[in-house]
Amino acid sequence: MRSTVPLVLTFLVGLFMVGEYFIPHWGYHVITQLLLEWGLILAAAAFLLGLFNLIQVNLPKVLNREEDWGYKLVMLISLAGTLVVGFWGNTGRLNPGEAYKWLFDFVFVPLNATMFALLAFYIASAAFRAFRARNLEATVLLVAAIIVMIARVPLGESLPLVGEKLPQFMNWIMDVPNIAARRAIFIGAALGAVSTGLRVILGIERSHLGAD
Amino acid sequence: MKLDTLVKFQHMDRRWIFLGMGLAILLPMLFPVNLPFKVDERVQSLYDAVEEIPAGSTVFISADFDPASRPELEPFFRANLHHLLRKDVKFVSATLWPSAPPLVLPIFEELTAEYGKEYGKDWAFLGFKDGKELAIKAIGENIPETFPQDIKGNKVEDLEVMRGFKQAKDFAMIINVSAGFPGTREYVLQIQGQYDLSIASATTAVSGPDYIPFYKAGQLNGLSAGMPGSAQYEKLVFPDGPPDGVRLLATQSVNVLNVGHLFIIVLIVLGNVAFLVTRQAEEQA
Repeated sequence: MRSTVPLVLTFLVGLFMVGEYFIPHWGYHVITQLLLEWGLILAAAAFLLGLFNLIQVNLPKVLNREEDWGYKLVMLISLAGTLVVGFWGNTGRLNPGEAYKWLFDFVFVPLNATMFALLAFYIASAAFRAFRARNLEATVLLVAAIIVMIARVPLGESLPLVGEKLPQFMNWIMDVPNIAARRAIFIGAALGAVSTGLRVILGIERSHLGAD
Repeated sequence: MKLDTLVKFQHMDRRWIFLGMGLAILLPMLFPVNLPFKVDERVQSLYDAVEEIPAGSTVFISADFDPASRPELEPFFRANLHHLLRKDVKFVSATLWPSAPPLVLPIFEELTAEYGKEYGKDWAFLGFKDGKELAIKAIGENIPETFPQDIKGNKVEDLEVMRGFKQAKDFAMIINVSAGFPGTREYVLQIQGQYDLSIASATTAVSGPDYIPFYKAGQLNGLSAGMPGSAQYEKLVFPDGPPDGVRLLATQSVNVLNVGHLFIIVLIVLGNVAFLVTRQAEEQA
């Protein structure tokens, strides 16, 4: 019974939502709209669940002085601080001068941007070490990557002799082999998603219920 | 050159590479060389699609980016807003990324004030909604139900700019400024086909190749990828250069991309020369 009810619900809701694509009746849409709203509420609740999970996982480690407890403490303080100033600011929290906006502009933005900017350095290092013409396939990848990299920026267009042709060749790489490979991946993934969806709707796949 | 030197070069301390990359970023900022560039067909198509929107129409902007992707996407975002506002196109915006509202709201406020547009009448920002694909599906079905209140706490269905606009297909175009998931791919998969929507996308350079098949299939009516795409869009929006007080952020930044890309290519080429020479020597030994 404990697993039968969720399986029946999954079957009915799944089938109903698929039906929306084929039944353009307003009455049908009223129900799918309601189900979507429930889904959005559940997604918001998942945010809350994540918050509690974060505290549940990290707080004991701080209290027991486990490895890296200092970082976890900073994280928990940041979490609590941001929550408090966010609630305190209410709908005006994004106005200039508000504490939440200040935290966002002067703490979150620099940290987030710095983390991403570091990629430029690590990518340069990784490209130097990993991009080696060890065999034919690697050489093809290497040559294609260099052509796309140089042709993507104005410098490529300005090169003497090849500057005119380089962007055209890059576009060919992007439009023909790139699209062919990506379409194959998309179609494969889409078929996989359809089959997984069907398995869930038909109750064959039950891992979401906590059972194999 | 000695073989030892080539082997050492291949295993050099990565801090030298970091230093080189740092210089490759810094020097073009200090001494910019503004090389000319052409506009890609996909960016031109995006510009043309926006150009064809009649004055007085309303578009939906899904601003799905964060501070990390800001350098690549904010220039497009700003140029696109200039483009829309000077054509007297109204807009309603929302985001599926929690860190986007504090980033995009000041830009909306700055540019709409510049063009004398009024909040609620000419534009509105509905804020963030979690739910990812579900939220996109809900935007396709019913926007006032999905976003009952805007970012300022007003009832969305009472906003003048929302009068007559209930779902995504009611808008002249969906413009998605997307840094990843959820973003352009999810808009295309969830609602583009079902409602036959006109969607234009500006995305990061790394996501660009992923979305080219959508553009080629006609599911996107334009695609701007990364900073070069943003620079090209700026060139189209401001063909005679920027007006006073406007900075073409991407056009300035492609100088850094030029040298950065060149630095990585030189590294790869030198690394391969060293690799091939040492491998040949090892095979002969």
